Amino acid sequence: MSLSDKLYRIFISGGSYLTILKGLRTTVAISLASVILGTLLACLICLLRTRKNAVIRNISAAYIAFLRGTPVLTLLLLLYYGVFARAGLPSALVATFTFALNFSAHVAELLRTSISATEKGQVEAARTLGFSRWEAFRLITLPQTLEIAKPVYQSLIVNLIQWTSVVGYVTITDLTRVINNISSRTMQPFITITIGMFIYLGLSYAIYGIFALMNMKKKGAA
Amino acid sequence: MSLIEVKGLTKSFGSLEVLKDLNLTVEEGERIAIIGSSGCGKSVFLRSLELLEEPDSGQIFIDGKEITAKNAKVDHIRRSMGMVYQKFHLFSHMNVMDNLCLAPVRLLGMSRKDAEEKAMDLLRQVGLAPRAHDFPSVLSGGQQQRIAICRSLMMEPKVLLFDEPTSALDPTMVGEVLAVIRMLAKRSLTMLIVTHEMNFAREVADRVLFFAEKGIYEQGKPEEIFDAPKKPLTIAFINKIKHFSYAINRRDFDLMKFHGGIQTFGEKYGLKNNQIMRLQLCCEEMVMDMMENCYEAGEDVSLEFTITYAESTKESNITLLCGGKNYNPFTQIEDDDIHLGITILKKMASSCEHEFSDGRNKISLCL
Repeated sequence: MSLSDKLYRIFISGGSYLTILKGLRTTVAISLASVILGTLLACLICLLRTRKNAVIRNISAAYIAFLRGTPVLTLLLLLYYGVFARAGLPSALVATFTFALNFSAHVAELLRTSISATEKGQVEAARTLGFSRWEAFRLITLPQTLEIAKPVYQSLIVNLIQWTSVVGYVTITDLTRVINNISSRTMQPFITITIGMFIYLGLSYAIYGIFALMNMKKKGAA
Repeated sequence: MSLIEVKGLTKSFGSLEVLKDLNLTVEEGERIAIIGSSGCGKSVFLRSLELLEEPDSGQIFIDGKEITAKNAKVDHIRRSMGMVYQKFHLFSHMNVMDNLCLAPVRLLGMSRKDAEEKAMDLLRQVGLAPRAHDFPSVLSGGQQQRIAICRSLMMEPKVLLFDEPTSALDPTMVGEVLAVIRMLAKRSLTMLIVTHEMNFAREVADRVLFFAEKGIYEQGKPEEIFDAPKKPLTIAFINKIKHFSYAINRRDFDLMKFHGGIQTFGEKYGLKNNQIMRLQLCCEEMVMDMMENCYEAGEDVSLEFTITYAESTKESNITLLCGGKNYNPFTQIEDDDIHLGITILKKMASSCEHEFSDGRNKISLCL
């Protein structure tokens, strides 16, 4: 069988490209929702993490330590088969929730270290000019924190996208699951899985591209 | 009404009391230099005025408003004070123009156009107009500090506080920053300057505060403090007197270690080699002579040396406290061979004195 025949069988016959696109959509949807939800959650956790109250601070520290120290797959299995087993929630929702939790822990820690990397003296300078605490944070600390956090944040997103490849465990048909199905059906694992990997690679570089574009735009504005 | 009034200011960090019951009144237009050794609380004092450090007790009034009051509008009162930091603290994510315009536009409601005009005017005065659109990271320390001063001036403060404005700069840039401060001094702006630049303090200030012992230890006109300080710590500070002390408690003490100590002390403060050798020689002669003549054989010995060196006058002093019998080495017959060492010593010293009190001999030598 020639290569073009193989490719035809893998990607075209029976509309498998549509299945692949559907899998890709699932992967992107879960990732995107987790990034948004996780980032919001991270801001909240980071806020609690830097409170004066020791109890709140320690609880959020434990949250971060636990989620960063355990595999996200085990969390997914725990939530799907354990915690929400009887709730009858759609598996995609549980998966999104899982990845959001995991992502939030990483981002919360990232935000905390980025904030502490900003120069306190600049905040003092803003305060002595007459800015309130909140204004000094919003105008000085926040923009600098985001700038520091950005490179690590984008690689956390790329990591997250790759980690969503385990959602097949809870019956979700994402990109990996689709690729795996096709490779079993066509008995062409080598080509199929390689192409699947390249799709993930493309996705990752799309993320880097978006951030690079944002940077360029900012430089252009300044 | 005074511009700044401080009453009974006390501040501790944990168990360390830094300022105790400090009182100060600053009139409008006064230029005050604050000097003192590191850790004497002068920076803490300046930061307290801005309430960056919360005092433990005491009151601070800025232009009649109490900033230490419970319900004081601190943000509002701070607008009338400008603070310039040792490390500039320009906003690193903004260019120079944005650094200058941020506060007046947002806090005073100035239009961006007016603010930019005012900023350009200030930048021209400090010679940095061409750098208006650069980011702080590409500017030298001296340039950053001049811009930090402009940033404070944008708010039209009634008083400017300088916290060691030139300490983080390398010597080539100190001049340009001092020139800007001098320029401001001519406009009779009220200023408080914490500084280690003594000549600058003398030239610019109307009043000098010397901080020590948890507060203002001595204050006066520059010529009073710099030329005729009255109290001992001020005198020691102004003349930059350095100390070295060494105690000897046994006859077979480590002479080489003693010599080594003097050597290190001398090198640290830039004494010439022959000065160091003279100090070593004098000390050695005195130890030998005093040990022999003040104590009986086998008796425990106790000698305490203190060497001081004044960087300003380049004079060194040796003080020796020695127990035992009352014995004055300087009254011995000069051509006696045994006292040859002391004879040499007397020739070298510009003055030598002996007194005996409380069972101790006290010898002072001036070299």
